[in-house]
Amino acid sequence: MRGTPVRGLIPLVVLLVLWEVLGDPASPYFPPPSTWVDGVSPLVESDRLLPAIGDTSLTFVLGLFIATVLGSLVGTLVGASRPVDRALSPSLEFLRALPAASLVPVAALVLGYTAQMKLVVVVLPAMWPILLTCRSARRSLSPVLLDTPRTLGLSGWDRMTKVLTPALLPAVLLGVRVAAPLALIITLLVEIVTRVNGLGAALGAAQSSFLSAQVYGLLTIAGVLGFVVNWVVTRAETAVSRRMRGTT
Amino acid sequence: MISCDDLSVTLPGANGPVNILSGVHLRVAKGEFVSVLGTSGSGKTTLLRVLGGLQSATGGRITCDGVDIAGPPDGVVTVFQDYAHSLLPWRTVRRNVALGIEKLDKTERDSRVDEALAMVGLSERDGEYPWRLSGGMQQRVQIARALAMRPRVLLMDEPFGALDAMTKASLQDQLQQVAELTGTTVVFVTHDVEEAVYLSDRLVVLSGSPANIGLSLDVPLPRPRDQIATKERADYLELRHEVYAALGHKVGERASG
Ligand SMILES: Nc1ncnc2c1ncn2[C@@H]1O[C@H](COP(=O)(O)OP(=O)(O)OP(=O)(O)O)[C@@H](O)[C@H]1O
Ligand SMILES: [Mg+2]
Repeated sequence: MRGTPVRGLIPLVVLLVLWEVLGDPASPYFPPPSTWVDGVSPLVESDRLLPAIGDTSLTFVLGLFIATVLGSLVGTLVGASRPVDRALSPSLEFLRALPAASLVPVAALVLGYTAQMKLVVVVLPAMWPILLTCRSARRSLSPVLLDTPRTLGLSGWDRMTKVLTPALLPAVLLGVRVAAPLALIITLLVEIVTRVNGLGAALGAAQSSFLSAQVYGLLTIAGVLGFVVNWVVTRAETAVSRRMRGTT
Repeated sequence: MISCDDLSVTLPGANGPVNILSGVHLRVAKGEFVSVLGTSGSGKTTLLRVLGGLQSATGGRITCDGVDIAGPPDGVVTVFQDYAHSLLPWRTVRRNVALGIEKLDKTERDSRVDEALAMVGLSERDGEYPWRLSGGMQQRVQIARALAMRPRVLLMDEPFGALDAMTKASLQDQLQQVAELTGTTVVFVTHDVEEAVYLSDRLVVLSGSPANIGLSLDVPLPRPRDQIATKERADYLELRHEVYAALGHKVGERASG
């Protein structure tokens, strides 16, 4: 189990090695991996790479965090009450069907080319998986589990923190696990489209100046970022759901 | 202590609202042990939820010590039929038992938890997670959690339904002892006639649809009761007979022989 992610990367490594051996160092479209480091180094020297990674990570983390808070709150409220669910479901379905990319022009129109605009575009689509898992988890919560803290005289706050939140946590994390890669993709996409800071903006700039080695270098960095994010949320989700659901 | 007058409860059903309880009069005195009998689906759980302040009534008046019940009153603790969903799987047995008394300081809390676990015979398993325990043990954890609250009124919904005969008998006797010692009022839902007669000062039978109290019977057997001696008494057998008849059962050779 633990070796799998590393072993699973072997085909990718083989591909890169083949590319390196067979590739033409002067190719304008497919520069081999060894040139990528050189391609990215101007960004490192001019101190632009780390801030770009920082910007992307900040938008991603903050966006995912806000999406988690909003998604689990709305999901829990909607899942708790059939009438609310019936009243809100059609609107929610409509919003969910709205493609993330189509939000960019509206958000840019309202908020300009700013970090807030990026956040809004990331938060909205990333919220759905969390909202949906939370809604169904809240719906299927046993009424006895909700009665238990009441009969034991727990305050509203204690009921929420000691029973409701832990009971819904696995669902929230399951949603986060789905939402995290999505949030990262959208972060990069917004940055490429709007050129507002971050790795995506650097990628877009490199592409438009035909710095192909730099494009591949940045792509690799983005790929590693995605891999790490995915690994972390998957591990967290598995660990927590094992502990909270009480199964081995 | 607890009383309800002309209680009625209507719940939403698949084809519109269903009247589940209607015209229920019940008075439970302080320290009294009252059993509620009834066939499956007769509304026993619903009645108990109303008494515990977990379900609001559609009509009638329910009071605890003269105060109208709106929400679970202090010192009235319910033990649920569905023990599996009532224990928190992310907490150990010890921390589950402590759930209702976490406001107390640590020494007091620990001693209450120890005491409650000892009463149900689970002191050794306090560090375990509930899903590692058998169904019967899980139910005992739930009972311990209620006892740790030192309740004035204990509302128990078929608490021993999941237990084997041996454990059941021993917990019945423990419950009797605790109730007597602490003067706890108990409303005990069961569909086991022997159990109801053995434990109760009085038993009521829920019947009809919508259900109300069809039979209310005093059980004047002397206390302390004993699993063997009490169950051999002629008046015990007679009471048992009467309840079976009220429930519409045929009493076979076992009772007369
Ligand atoms: N939440 C609910 N919503 C609607 N109807 C309900 C609900 N809970 C129970 N009922 C209905 O109320 C009736 C009585 O149910 P209740 O659970 O009180 O029976 P019970 O006597 O406890 O049965 P058992 O011995 O099987 O536990 C049943 O017809 C059931 O379908
Ligand atoms: Mg029931």
